[in-house]
Amino acid sequence: MAQLRHDHPEFVSRDVAVVVVGPEDAQGFSDYWQKENLPFIGLPDPKASVLKLYGQEVNLFKLGRMPAQVLIDKEGIARFVHYGHSMSDIPSNEEILALVDEINQAK
Amino acid sequence: MPRVSLNQPAPNFTLPDFSGKDFSLAVLKGKKIVLLVFNRTFA
Repeated sequence: MAQLRHDHPEFVSRDVAVVVVGPEDAQGFSDYWQKENLPFIGLPDPKASVLKLYGQEVNLFKLGRMPAQVLIDKEGIARFVHYGHSMSDIPSNEEILALVDEINQAK
Repeated sequence: MPRVSLNQPAPNFTLPDFSGKDFSLAVLKGKKIVLLVFNRTFA
């Protein structure tokens, strides 16, 4: 989250809205969001409705849900989908930003 | 378990945000590229 916040201006300058969905309840999410002063759109999803809709993997042996990232273009089409197998298995912001540049250049 | 397919429409959803205000993915369509991040937990 810290790295994402650090690079957030890079996303904003490329016309990207960062939407973070988490499994906490609304209060836990709100407390965290305000404490950390995060600039993203933050969506608590304690019932995991969106997580299930997007097929985020749930692995009970690895303490819950695995991370996932989806990049959606302005037409609402998924252009990049990554389902991680551990918390360290996520693409870097540089990789995501490069993909955003590709999407923007394709216009 | 269903998964989002590449180059297919991303499913719309509506959820209250952390401040309780409804957010719908559809409001960003035509306006913004969206990076949707699913976190395991913040704790």
